Amino acid sequence: MFNVRLTWPVAPLVAAAQFLLVTASARDAEVPDLSGLWGRQSLDWEPPATGPGPVVNTKLRANGMRDSDTRVGDYNNPMLTPFAAAEVKRHGDISLKGETFPNPANQCQPQASPFLLTQLEMELLQQKDEVVLLYMIDHQVRHVRLNQKHPAHVVPSWSGDSVGHYEGDTLVVDTIGVKVGPFSMVDQYGTPYTGALHVVERYRLIDGQSARDAEQRNEKLSGSAMGRFADFENNGKGLQIQFTVEDPGSFKSPWSAVVTYLHGREWLEFICAESPYDYVTGKNPQIPTANKPDF
Amino acid sequence: MHAVLGRSFRGAILGVGLASVLILPALAAQNVNPIPDFSGVWWRNAMDPELPPSGPKPLVNLMRHDNDPHPNGGGDPLPLVGDYNNPNLKPKAAEAVKKAGELSASGRINPDPSNQCAPFSPPYIFTIQLGVQMLQEKDEIVMLYPQDDQVRRVRLNAGHPKKVTPSAMGDSVGHYEGDTLVIDTVGVKLGPVTMVDRYGTPQSEALHLTERYRLIDAADAKEAMERHQRRAGPAGAAPFDPNYGGLQLQYTVEDPNVFTMPWSAQITYRRTMLPWAEQVCAENIVEYWPGMNIGVPKAGKPDF
Repeated sequence: MFNVRLTWPVAPLVAAAQFLLVTASARDAEVPDLSGLWGRQSLDWEPPATGPGPVVNTKLRANGMRDSDTRVGDYNNPMLTPFAAAEVKRHGDISLKGETFPNPANQCQPQASPFLLTQLEMELLQQKDEVVLLYMIDHQVRHVRLNQKHPAHVVPSWSGDSVGHYEGDTLVVDTIGVKVGPFSMVDQYGTPYTGALHVVERYRLIDGQSARDAEQRNEKLSGSAMGRFADFENNGKGLQIQFTVEDPGSFKSPWSAVVTYLHGREWLEFICAESPYDYVTGKNPQIPTANKPDF
Repeated sequence: MHAVLGRSFRGAILGVGLASVLILPALAAQNVNPIPDFSGVWWRNAMDPELPPSGPKPLVNLMRHDNDPHPNGGGDPLPLVGDYNNPNLKPKAAEAVKKAGELSASGRINPDPSNQCAPFSPPYIFTIQLGVQMLQEKDEIVMLYPQDDQVRRVRLNAGHPKKVTPSAMGDSVGHYEGDTLVIDTVGVKLGPVTMVDRYGTPQSEALHLTERYRLIDAADAKEAMERHQRRAGPAGAAPFDPNYGGLQLQYTVEDPNVFTMPWSAQITYRRTMLPWAEQVCAENIVEYWPGMNIGVPKAGKPDF
């Protein structure tokens, strides 16, 4: 009797609750939850699993680690067009003299993808119709319109025109129309791009241990930033970005690289205009200064 | 069989009833105070804040009169001369406003966060930025402003730290009070050109700002915007989406080192039909008004 009294009302209740839960989980399964603060501390990108990778630093320290204080890109990389190879060599020669060559970050200029993917902390915010990507250094913001196409005629801008969609557990972001300026480059070696740049980024969650392993492996290879941007104590999942770059003006073939982020620590405010200090080399990157005040 | 079906049916009815009793109130409770939806890009076509209905007011331009067709941009023909006689200004602040106004009236442009590509600290950010986008997350609100990618972060339902490290955007915490988002900001860092408004009113690190955002009726928003535009002058002609109402920001500024008492101001936005536009300060040394170079400092010779 006791069982009957409980069982009859409860069975439909459980069914109703299950219906609500299944509906909710089906909805959630459509869009992976990538939102949050993400950080890393390894410099440079990871190589792709297969195929051509990014330009790497040829200057090594005695222990075999890439010398992050001197950035001499591999200008002999056969993937580079002659124009791009000459630019990589020119920047490497400046770095070999002990100077910091100007790049978008130390010149307080807008940073486009994939250069932006060198940033050590970012926040991904998933909205209904767009994904907003925020980057720590100098308030860089990108807007990715979801489930839309690029316009027929894209007006070049510093962030370019980014559209995105979800493919299962992956957010795919496609960017074209990136403006070219005096310090434009795809990486920290001065590798140039042209108006034909096309970048495809694929964001997905990976298990936490794999993310930590990837981050530590890359840190041993390419060095570590002084700041602690990644939370190694957090056992949650990591965010992996696999991206592919095409630009027939600079590259003979598309190339890919991987960036792994862990959960980020506190968001730090970096205002480029108030800091002429290069935190990588510890040197002043020679921001132009006026001879006399204008006011 | 009929008996079983009958019992099943009655059981189902009872179960659904119980589910209604247990689940619906829970859902309803969540909706008693639904969080207002501020999503989308909000815009206005005039700078400066609107005047509050009563109480101490923000500074106004002494050189402007209602229905002046010139943009209130500063320089010739319409200098930015703040009302340095406003009794709410302490003597040193009044002196700074007067000096900035004299510079502007002489045909020069007073250096400010906008023309110097410096961070637009609050509350200056409200007076100069024409648009705002609010991303309402679970634990925070991220506020994006179009000119030079200015970003503010507001931690929800949190307190300020005991010791706030001053930063350009300050330390902002917020919570919802019914249909209103309330944001409290302290710890705004002072830079060489940090100011409260476009008239050079200074601020100190004691500045305390309270913002209150709520949705308002479309007709009220339109009326408020048109009234303000007549007084403050035009700055663009963005089209508004007729399907949406308005967003009203009411803010109060306290800073005992600068003002004799707190004052309030208001800003009304409507949803724009324009896409988000990229505006990068560093690549633009010409202001929006023809032929006015804002005088970004230049090096005598190239450094590279």
